[in-house]
Amino acid sequence: MAKAEDISITADEPFRLAAARIVRTRTEELVAHADGVLDTRDIERVHDMRVASRRLRAVLEIFAVCFPPSEFKGVLKDVKALADALGERRDPDVHIAALQAFGKVLTPTQRRGVTWLVAEQRELQTAGNEVLAAALQRMEERGLRERLLALADAAEGVEEEDA
Amino acid sequence: MKARKIDGLDADGTLADNAERIVLVRLDELCGFMPQAADPAEWVALHDMRIAAKRLRYILEVTGHVFGPYARSATKHTKDLQDLLGEIHDCDVQIPATAASAVRLLEADAEALVALAGNADDLDPELLRQAPHLLDHTGVAALEAHLRARRRVLFARFLEQWDVLERKGFRARLEYAVSERTA
Repeated sequence: MAKAEDISITADEPFRLAAARIVRTRTEELVAHADGVLDTRDIERVHDMRVASRRLRAVLEIFAVCFPPSEFKGVLKDVKALADALGERRDPDVHIAALQAFGKVLTPTQRRGVTWLVAEQRELQTAGNEVLAAALQRMEERGLRERLLALADAAEGVEEEDA
Repeated sequence: MKARKIDGLDADGTLADNAERIVLVRLDELCGFMPQAADPAEWVALHDMRIAAKRLRYILEVTGHVFGPYARSATKHTKDLQDLLGEIHDCDVQIPATAASAVRLLEADAEALVALAGNADDLDPELLRQAPHLLDHTGVAALEAHLRARRRVLFARFLEQWDVLERKGFRARLEYAVSERTA
């Protein structure tokens, strides 16, 4: 599992400045994990991106008070939707791995039923990958990274150039 | 489970003061699920407790090191608890899913046998040998038995783990730790 980057924070720094720094770092971690995430041969990629999405969602919720409410609401909704899509792909990955491990302790005759269950999960995995592909495209189209970074700027008090 | 609203947060206040407020509420939420979640039948409470543990874990992971030393131990205890509750949750998801798969297999065989029977007045037991999933049922039933047993084993571990946390003063020590500040 990808380790989250340590972010230096201090007890007495303003909440909103810590929010800006942490959201920027967690946003870039999320985006960095998008590469190759649709490849079902390497299930760790989707796992890492899902973990990154959870961490990002958590910090958004922790620091919610630091962000402009109207922009924050939409960004959080999009991060949740992305996390859900990652879950739709990840859940069958986990079930397949667990079923295959379970199948190893069974006799060949008993294993047939488990193989049938794996086939069911493969179908869900394929469907989940389609859901995830659409979510990744939506993330691009809706400029999720840029909107997250804009939230961080707002927390820090940075004015937008065109404001 | 919807997280409880936290009053008094201030974007211009210090990180530690805001984080302290959040930790105290999240800790209270987590502890509030006991003793209800200690009943194996109360699976909804148990899974809400998992969500509460996750929320406490995240705030501690982000801000734990600005508090007293026990906050770091508490981060690990909370993560361990959340992981265990997650394993139990997986069983609770997989048990009905496996049972549903077993029913689908049975139905598929029943449908196939009806088709094989054609216009017969009764079903010839010999036809059972041609049921498409005849050899699949055992493995699926074995999996369900495994999941049911695993759930019980993990639940017993959860009760032990919570008992240890209580005996070692998890709540009181974390409450004290978040009142401390690192230099």
